[in-house]
Amino acid sequence: MSLLRLEALSKRFGEHWALKGIDFSLEEGEIVGLVGPNGAGKTTLFNLITGRHKPSSGRVWFESKDITFCRPHEIQRFGVSRTFQSSRPFAKMSVLENVVVGRIFRGELHLFPRPTDINTARQLLELVGLAPKGDTIAGELTLSERRRLDLARALATEPRLLLLDEVVAGFSPLAVKQAAELVQRVRERGVTLFIVDHFMSLSLRVSDRLLALDHGKKIAEGKPQEVMRNREVIRAYLGMRRDEEAHSANQAGS
Amino acid sequence: MTKAPPTSEPLKNSAIAQVGLLLGLAILLVIPLLAGGHDYVLQVFTHGLLLATLALAWNILAISGSISLGHAAFFGVGAYTSGLLSLELGVSSWATIPTAGLAAMAVAVLVWLFCHRLRGAYFALATLAFVEIPRVLTDNWDGLTRGSLGLVGLPGLPALRLGSHHFDISASSIGSYYFVLVYGLLLLAVVTFIFRSNLGLALQAIREEETAAESLGIQVQRYRLLALLLSALFSGITGACYAHLIRYIEPGMVYGLHFSAIPVIFAICGGRFTIIGPALAALVLYPMDQFLLHPLLPAGHEFLYGAVIILAILFLPSGFWGQLWKGQRVSIKTGSIE
Repeated sequence: MSLLRLEALSKRFGEHWALKGIDFSLEEGEIVGLVGPNGAGKTTLFNLITGRHKPSSGRVWFESKDITFCRPHEIQRFGVSRTFQSSRPFAKMSVLENVVVGRIFRGELHLFPRPTDINTARQLLELVGLAPKGDTIAGELTLSERRRLDLARALATEPRLLLLDEVVAGFSPLAVKQAAELVQRVRERGVTLFIVDHFMSLSLRVSDRLLALDHGKKIAEGKPQEVMRNREVIRAYLGMRRDEEAHSANQAGS
Repeated sequence: MTKAPPTSEPLKNSAIAQVGLLLGLAILLVIPLLAGGHDYVLQVFTHGLLLATLALAWNILAISGSISLGHAAFFGVGAYTSGLLSLELGVSSWATIPTAGLAAMAVAVLVWLFCHRLRGAYFALATLAFVEIPRVLTDNWDGLTRGSLGLVGLPGLPALRLGSHHFDISASSIGSYYFVLVYGLLLLAVVTFIFRSNLGLALQAIREEETAAESLGIQVQRYRLLALLLSALFSGITGACYAHLIRYIEPGMVYGLHFSAIPVIFAICGGRFTIIGPALAALVLYPMDQFLLHPLLPAGHEFLYGAVIILAILFLPSGFWGQLWKGQRVSIKTGSIE
């Protein structure tokens, strides 16, 4: 059974279809890149999966559960976590506290953070390379550190599926390479990953498959190299070639 | 080679702060001795302590990011509940003061029904407007509340029996002072507990980034409601203590802007992201206002509050206590992985 299954998923904002009829499945252990130009509907898709927005039609299945209309915290408890396009640390809390918050609201509630929660949080900070910054106020971190904190915080919830929204936007090539290594290490922990990546700099390195969207529709899916060569995908990113443009204009006119 | 601790500056601050706090507590304990026979001095500090508890109670809600400009609603309902129960039914204030807290919680449920979708400035303005509802009701429902006449001749704070000893707290200013001090210390313990617990982490997370908090499994609305209820409970209790301390209340007084604004002022000056900052500000600013400015400017002495709030916002946005702790967190420390 697929870990995540999207069934004819659509979302309309007013008159505008942000997503239309998306069918897609993610298998356990995969890394899938979600690519497409600005406004393609990538973040909207994440918002539908995590329950922030409700779809206009269609279904979201997590394993055998229909999570289409579950609330965000419920979906989180089933094992789906995410990071945000614009990193959202708890700015006035320490880096360690940020991660601890990810630990303590899963299932059984306790009065205080348990030592095991704090220990796990520290280990996650080691994983993302923020261990020396544990006592720093999260608002003082650099962009790359914030993104890594987001990642550690999301991992603290022990997700089975992790949605990463533009984790490497604005990163240097070296930082992208390090992020790719980090993503691989996350996969080795048994986490399935779905990665939004406009410029594909990360997803081409790590993805098993790509899903390409444009104007809310699925235009391609498959092995990264195949999707990269797909005419629709190239067109979505780079626009049409002159001769194609003339051809489609002729067709529209006739 | 061992590295020098990178946080030496805040550590030094924390040592100073701890010594300062102990010193402050010692002073609070002996103020009745220092005041000698001056009842007025003691009354000012009693009132300052009471305002400190209101600021502490207000801050419970503010931890979750909701700024209330209408805590006079809880304060006033608490004062009137306790006052009416003891006047009309002759119930002991041991019973009426907690009941007042519960009544304020009931009011908080109403506030929640109308305001739970609001955030930030919208929530603040809604609470500011909400105070008018209990004020107008109290003012006009003469049959129940005696209307604008107010409640006169309220019984004092409760008496305390320990075995054969009988302490009439309200008989002396010293008794009242220690009663409010004990309540204040208990409330401080409660607020410390909330701040350091998982509840406190949840509330702070909601304040900082509600969407992210929700994505980590925090039931945002449930915790916001809990913070509002706890805040209202203690504001109501403070209101009840006020009623029995002053022994006279009227609608314009207990529902007035004064009791809505003053916790905000103290919290912002002291540091609303800290546990004790709001209470410290109350204990410094209120006596300063009463002893220094009131004799000089009987009509305009409250300008102090306007001035300090502007100074705080411009120069110490995290409050003076918050500034002292800047860059250092107390609740969870890092260290080696065990």
